[in-house]
Amino acid sequence: MSGLLYISVRKTFGPTVALESLDLEVREGELISLLGPSGCGKTTALRIAAGFEFADSGAVTVGGADITRKPAHKRNMGMVFQSYSLFPNLSVNLNVDFGLRTRKISGPERKKRVAEMLELVQLGGMGDRYPHQLSGGQQQRVALARALAIQPSVLLLDEPLSALDAKVRLSLRDQIRRIQTELGITTLLVTHDQEEALGIADRVGVMSAGRLEQLATPSEVYSKPASAFVARFVGSMNEMPAVVRGADAVDVAGQTIMTPSGATRSVGESVLFLVRPEDVSVAAAGEPGLSGTVTATTFQGASTVVGIRLDVLDTLVHAHLGSSSATHLAPGQRVSVRVDGTRGVLEAIGAKHVEVEEPAA
Amino acid sequence: MADVNPLAPDLEVVIDPEIGGPPTAPIGGIPPTAGRPAARLGRLGPTLVVILCAMFFIFPLLSLARYSLQNVPTVRLGWSTLFDKWSLKGLTKAFDDPHFGPTLRLSLKLALGTVLLTLALLLPTAIWVHMRLPRMRPVIEFITVLPYVIPAIAMVAGIVVVKPHARWFLNSDYALIPFYVILALPFTYRSIDAGLRSIDLKTLVDASRSLGAGWGTTLRRAVVPNLRTSIISSAFLTTAVVLGEFTIASTLLKNTLPTFQRTFVGVNPQAGFGLNFLALVVTTMLFALLTLLTRKRGAKGTKPDAAVTNAMAYSALSQQSKGI
Repeated sequence: MSGLLYISVRKTFGPTVALESLDLEVREGELISLLGPSGCGKTTALRIAAGFEFADSGAVTVGGADITRKPAHKRNMGMVFQSYSLFPNLSVNLNVDFGLRTRKISGPERKKRVAEMLELVQLGGMGDRYPHQLSGGQQQRVALARALAIQPSVLLLDEPLSALDAKVRLSLRDQIRRIQTELGITTLLVTHDQEEALGIADRVGVMSAGRLEQLATPSEVYSKPASAFVARFVGSMNEMPAVVRGADAVDVAGQTIMTPSGATRSVGESVLFLVRPEDVSVAAAGEPGLSGTVTATTFQGASTVVGIRLDVLDTLVHAHLGSSSATHLAPGQRVSVRVDGTRGVLEAIGAKHVEVEEPAA
Repeated sequence: MADVNPLAPDLEVVIDPEIGGPPTAPIGGIPPTAGRPAARLGRLGPTLVVILCAMFFIFPLLSLARYSLQNVPTVRLGWSTLFDKWSLKGLTKAFDDPHFGPTLRLSLKLALGTVLLTLALLLPTAIWVHMRLPRMRPVIEFITVLPYVIPAIAMVAGIVVVKPHARWFLNSDYALIPFYVILALPFTYRSIDAGLRSIDLKTLVDASRSLGAGWGTTLRRAVVPNLRTSIISSAFLTTAVVLGEFTIASTLLKNTLPTFQRTFVGVNPQAGFGLNFLALVVTTMLFALLTLLTRKRGAKGTKPDAAVTNAMAYSALSQQSKGI
């Protein structure tokens, strides 16, 4: 087992730059998920590691050995695809056996390994079935067993859960993480589903337009987004026009709000101020804060989303409140909004607005 | 090619069944209004069409069978003699002809050669196009349909021009194989293409390669087994084309089964048509088998492909019977 390292990997398809210059280290035994909208280069990065695409420049190493030009079938990578990757003509046993056979491992040893792998993904006894007799979740577990059977140096997961329904997705996600931790296998997962990315990974790499925008732990990506793109893509954000007051303060409609310090903005500059809905709180009208009117409340169980139209900016902001503290709020009610800006993000107005696509269901 | 035989002008309809034949089977088989009581009257129409079409098929075929297999003078073939003196003697006369064996063997060899060459050329090409040049697919599709649109006689004209320069090649009986590969292309390519479309080729290839299999192993273990049905059907279709092709074989002076059939009809009309009848029955049964095979796969959700293959089968069958 060993780490996977991308060194200044660049890849273009005709005029399209899929990867600008990717530097990324997946440490030994670590699970990194690459998150981003479609077309951001995350899948290209994965396919370059698998050997299905080759980098224009730069290098890829596994455990220090350069594999940049090695063909796919000599790389020893375990790969799980989005779906339909099981060989439909082969039984579950033979699917898992496929990679072992190409490695010329002896019969009894292969048999033992296949049984072990199916046991690992909790499909013992299903070996004689054919892929079309299995559910989507079971098929993906077989695909995982097949990828792990060859004892790969790196496990590559290409949106392995996106074709499954929500419930199966959650349980398979936990199962993948359990097995990955158990085997201590270096893993790179690609997904456009932020919940999946944040929920499973040791570290998350957020990508946009061929660039790695941020590589950090899930909580850090969420609470300290490195860029406005990351802030918008991971979780949701309220956006308010603001004027820079100092290194750690902005003015929003006459209210001074404290922001993370060290922002390199000049005083007086107009910016967009991005703040998470859970950092917005609601007080009774007349209390200090930005006055506005409740437009809608959406009950979501533990929390309630409250939409408030601000008087001054004519901007709609959302607040995530604990449901118990939102019971007294109703549409049309006058309230005062307070913003905790210490986890907010500033974006220069007129900065290139990267379109954030809604991930496909 | 669908010329009227002077010996039996009444059999004209059999010679060219493509006019009324192919579409009726699928349309008539599933009446659109089936099952709704209110539309019961509406079902009468389709049923009538089916019966008419069946008659359109059955009467000429029956005439052919009676003419060749009933030992009754032609003028006395009527309703009253329907069950008289049936015998296979007419057929055995054809089998006993010294030219029958060699021409059948040659045609079967040509069929085998054509199938092998077609698969050797077409499988890698179609796979490559699907994997790497998906945008070229309409172009390739257009090119492969050309032999169906352009009459074989046009190719013959080409052969005549080339003949003096390629005698060494055209003298061999197997010189027909490349021409037959081209003639069968509309059917074979579509069959393979439909098969490739019904599997997730790219993922299967990627999966196989990531598991350590090179290109050879990948084709052998991951791709070809999943194209089994389309390979079988393209082999059937090729065989039908080869066993029915007359024009080119005749131009190049080869003694294949269709050319033998043609001459034998002149020598012994009754036995000759008996042989033609048998050929038609055998190919029809082959296609029935093919339909069964593809339908079995269709149940797993590849129905459109089965429909395509069947439509092609009928059209190849009509192509085949043109040769008779």
